[in-house]
Amino acid sequence: MAVLIDNKKVFSLYEVTRSIQKTINERYKATYWIKAEMNKLNYYQHSGHCYPDLIEKKDGKIVAQIRAVLWANDYKRINNTFKNTLNEPLKDGIKILFEAAIIYEPNYGVTLKIHNIDVNYTLGDLEKEKQETLHRLIKEKLADKNKTLSFPLLPKRVAVISVETSKGYADFLKIIDKNPWNYKFDLVLFASLLQGEHAIEAIIKQLNNIKKVMQHFDIVVIIRGGGGDIGLSCYNNYQLAKYIANFPLPVLTGIGHSTNETVVEKIAFFNAITPTKLAEYLIQRFHNFSVPVKNAMQKISVVSKQILLSNKKNLHGEAKLFKSVSLKILNSNTNKLTNSYNTLKNNTINQSAKNQFQILLHQFGNKLSYELQKNTASLYNQINILTNRHLNYISQQNSELNNLNSIIENLHPEKVLNRGYSITYKNEKVISSVAQLEINETITIQLSDGTFEAIITKIHKNEKSSNIQSSI
Amino acid sequence: MKNQVTYNQAFEELQKIVKDIEQGEISVDELTEKVKRAAELIKICKTKLTTAEEDVNTILKEIDM
Repeated sequence: MAVLIDNKKVFSLYEVTRSIQKTINERYKATYWIKAEMNKLNYYQHSGHCYPDLIEKKDGKIVAQIRAVLWANDYKRINNTFKNTLNEPLKDGIKILFEAAIIYEPNYGVTLKIHNIDVNYTLGDLEKEKQETLHRLIKEKLADKNKTLSFPLLPKRVAVISVETSKGYADFLKIIDKNPWNYKFDLVLFASLLQGEHAIEAIIKQLNNIKKVMQHFDIVVIIRGGGGDIGLSCYNNYQLAKYIANFPLPVLTGIGHSTNETVVEKIAFFNAITPTKLAEYLIQRFHNFSVPVKNAMQKISVVSKQILLSNKKNLHGEAKLFKSVSLKILNSNTNKLTNSYNTLKNNTINQSAKNQFQILLHQFGNKLSYELQKNTASLYNQINILTNRHLNYISQQNSELNNLNSIIENLHPEKVLNRGYSITYKNEKVISSVAQLEINETITIQLSDGTFEAIITKIHKNEKSSNIQSSI
Repeated sequence: MKNQVTYNQAFEELQKIVKDIEQGEISVDELTEKVKRAAELIKICKTKLTTAEEDVNTILKEIDM
């Protein structure tokens, strides 16, 4: 009831608010479908009620703002629908289409009392955000940027963005730590929220930390799993996706969910459907390094053996050739020896000398034959040794041959002459019997160091034996 | 980065040695040298695969700086 004060009609606040309430309640009797952006959900855990802050923006500016209320029971029901349909809970920053009553409470002012939220509208909006993020990255030529980084030969030093308690992280470690090939990775965990809207800034913060020490790392992996599929739309966020696309190290994802691939997964260097698969991918990269090393080992071993074998074969061939050449030389020396022997035999001038010479020759022959045999045996031994070992023994063998040669040379007439024997010529023919000589004939006598001529004054023919003495 | 270069180089050099011995005519003396070098490279590569190197604490300290 208004009262008059100084001729003014004055209402109490309560009366005013009651009046507003009455007007509004009469004006807005129905419920309405309204679209708005839920700037803040303002969920109160204690009561279970939410007091969403709803806004509408135009050109980035807030053009309308109103408080709403979502009672605990409604919140529970709607939130479950969201989780089941969108894989996202009700959260800050999403666009919603909701059914609400416009109510006015004198204590609180105008409030939209939300009864229902159309989940499909938000689904479309989230999908729209995802598509927008992707298109923007494509337009800015960032979508393939991380993918085109060169991957290290060995992705050994890994910065892991995950949570220690995550089942996905445990799965990842299980494969990495217990690999039967004993491959060792250097893992450093950068703990972060992995789902929900706060994950965006948390992941960016950790990526930033990794960037500071990136010289210690080959790759970054983002691992999540076991937490259900709720709250993954953060991986469609433009800021996060852009940061990952621009990251200087390859970023690999193993986010582990059954919903459609998020933008981050699309633009990551590599996306595995689960943390386990991601670990297997890294192990495979180690294989790719390890197998060629193993193959190299085998190849080197096989080819080396082949080379050694072929060298051995060549050596064997050389030894064989050497053996045949040596035998030829040996034969030729034997022939020379026989020739010398024959020549000496023919050239002996008197019987006595001949006999003595024969004895000598015989001795020489024996010795020679012995030496020959010995040398032949030794030569064969040497050849055998050489065949099995090395060609360098050729020189040694040659010296053996030289010895042989010197023995052979000892039988040369010249050498015999050196020992005091002489050869008598008449008319350039060797005289071997006094019967060939006559008194006053001129003969030529060869000694080791020269010849001289003599005239025969006497001839004595041995009577008893065939020994001949001639006096000059 | 220094380590990475080493195993990259080791890996490449190893591949080259394999190619050399497979293709070229190679003397026994050279072979010994190459096989010796290959053995070293294989050791480097295998070590890379199976040993941990980075000290986590050092890395984390650097972040705080």
